[in-house]
Amino acid sequence: MRRSSRLVDTVTYTVLIVGLLITLVPFVQSLLTALKTPEQFATSPATALPNPVTLQNFGDLLARYGFLRAVLVTLAVVVTIVVVQVTCSVLAAYAFARLRFPGRDVLFWAYLGTLMVPAIVTTIPLYTLFAQAGLRDTFWGIIAPSLLGSPYAVFLLRQHFLAIPHDLLNAATLDGAGTLRTLWSIAVPVSRPIIATLVVITAVSHWNNFLWPLIITSGGDWQVLTVATASLQTQYNGNWTLVMAAAVISLTPLLALFLVFQRQIVSSLAIRGIN
Amino acid sequence: MRTSTRTFTRLIAGVAGLAALAVGLSGCSDSGSADGAGDTTTVTFRIWSDDAVAAAYEKSFDAFTKANPDITVKVNQVPWANYWDKLRTDLSAGGGDDIFWTNAYNFAPYADNSKLVNVSSKLSNEVDAWEPSAVKQYTRKGTLWGVPQLIDGGKVLYYNKELVEKAGVDLTDLAWNPEHTADDTFLPALKKLTVDAAGRTADEPGFDGSNLTQYGFNASNDFDAIIGNFVGSNGGLYQSGGKYTFASNAKAEQAIEYVVNLVDKYHVAPSAADTNGNGDFTRDQFLQGKLAVFESGSYNLATIHSSAKFDWGIAPIPAGPAGRIPVTNSIIAAGNAGSKHADATLKVLRWIGSEKGSLALGASGSLIPAVTAAQGPYFDYWTKQGVDAKPFVDGVADGTLKNDVIPNAAATADDLTTALDEIFAGRSNGSVAAALKAAQTAANAGLSE
Repeated sequence: MRRSSRLVDTVTYTVLIVGLLITLVPFVQSLLTALKTPEQFATSPATALPNPVTLQNFGDLLARYGFLRAVLVTLAVVVTIVVVQVTCSVLAAYAFARLRFPGRDVLFWAYLGTLMVPAIVTTIPLYTLFAQAGLRDTFWGIIAPSLLGSPYAVFLLRQHFLAIPHDLLNAATLDGAGTLRTLWSIAVPVSRPIIATLVVITAVSHWNNFLWPLIITSGGDWQVLTVATASLQTQYNGNWTLVMAAAVISLTPLLALFLVFQRQIVSSLAIRGIN
Repeated sequence: MRTSTRTFTRLIAGVAGLAALAVGLSGCSDSGSADGAGDTTTVTFRIWSDDAVAAAYEKSFDAFTKANPDITVKVNQVPWANYWDKLRTDLSAGGGDDIFWTNAYNFAPYADNSKLVNVSSKLSNEVDAWEPSAVKQYTRKGTLWGVPQLIDGGKVLYYNKELVEKAGVDLTDLAWNPEHTADDTFLPALKKLTVDAAGRTADEPGFDGSNLTQYGFNASNDFDAIIGNFVGSNGGLYQSGGKYTFASNAKAEQAIEYVVNLVDKYHVAPSAADTNGNGDFTRDQFLQGKLAVFESGSYNLATIHSSAKFDWGIAPIPAGPAGRIPVTNSIIAAGNAGSKHADATLKVLRWIGSEKGSLALGASGSLIPAVTAAQGPYFDYWTKQGVDAKPFVDGVADGTLKNDVIPNAAATADDLTTALDEIFAGRSNGSVAAALKAAQTAANAGLSE
């Protein structure tokens, strides 16, 4: 009995370690490539260790390619969108879940229906609209389409708010709390894990957003990280060491975000599991 | 250990504050895009991502602004991979930068739809100063649609001196011939330069073409570096009259089949599995000292010079039955006909077409300026580095591939590349000619849709 469980353990650990390696190796490879000189990358096999180890790529990014500005712009975009979008989505979801007004359900499903439209279909009309409004190559141009809410977030939050026991909210109403007070003091603290998850999802998806910022901006002023990374490649030169350094820089804030919120993400998965 | 409500509230407040700051900052910097009436006009200049070229242009435009204090020029770099989609989106929405780079494969639809400034009428005095091949490439129905900026020149053979000396091969005057193998000195030379894992060269018995340690040549599905030059040197026509003719034109088909055989029959080049879709592979193999002869253009000169750790040289491309006829390309700066600053745009166009405006471009050594008087700094730069760059310009002495532009080539370009990749990978079902014909028919059918 003990032998078979040790065997099971060994097999389990082996599978997990192999899975871990498969997942981690690309990131390690990116980091190693970022630490190589372009000459070494061109002349030795891709899996060779960096020799000499150099921070030249990171230096070049910050000094010659204006990467610091791209980082700041992307930070500003993501922070603004996350704060405003999550706030608006919470308000909208609570309204759809707990308030009664005519046409509530029709409106909700119509709003959710827009999720079925692929983003690429609306890109050109959106661009034409913004171009005519004079918002080309501006900060507002980048954030406006996604600022006021996302169907996915509203849907997620509404389901969660519906699952909050009626008694909890009625108790607040009995104590004299208005809608906003109930939302802020009862519903939001109870939904903290799911809101944290939503913050992470929104932050990551807008950090990685490429197509819309590419179309609405041109030039170096309002370049976001994704567009700046793509600009590193020329027609005849992949500039892979620079691109990998850019990837490492782009990755670090997301990793930090995950480390800060990981407990909430895991606990939100657990809660949904129990339900 | 849950964060307490107070900490949570503080966190929210802090983030909201950051967001407000970001929004405020955006408001401050926003005014940069609108130009003040009567003060300085800002002309926007779009190129695809190339750091060295952007720096050279900025130097040039600093001099321009000194001479014209009321006009500043802003250089915008757009990622090369997305350049054409973005250009089309911007121009069709009525926006786009005032001046933008374009190449011969992409400019025709914009010219035909009156999106470009008519350079032959507005800048007729300057046309003589520009490289004739570039002017011809962008003249459509008698009108020149942009100011030529950079030319490729011809193509050359970069070669690894050590490998070539070891094989005892002379590259200075090679000739290839698809019909009369007795007159072909190119293929035997390449065979001597290809070595398999057992140390046998390709002309020895028992040579194993599937297991190579040293490649002879970089034959691959690359129109600019390989295919176009072989087609031209055979006197063929790759495209003509708005359609592809690489299979229906007998000499073009013959040339392409010759190149495919180099890969699949004689194995003197890397397998297509490595080169299809990876434009850097052969160059990196050359830089690692594993590829003896690398046919390419001036665009790779800087990379090879800085990264090659071995002695390398430049030789002319092999002469075909029709001579040494490479494909040559150039880049023009086209003016946006819908620009709000037509006069300023024209001034900048005149500047970059002049010798003074192009000097910085040549001095960067990245590509040859199209303004002939400004080519001196390019050759001086490379002479200082110990490289004779004249073969690039001498290489077009016999002529260049006649390459009529296909206006909507972008519509079928990807499918055509895939079809050719398959042929290079040896999957032509026995007949390369038949497969090429099928690819040509499919590509032409897509054009007329």
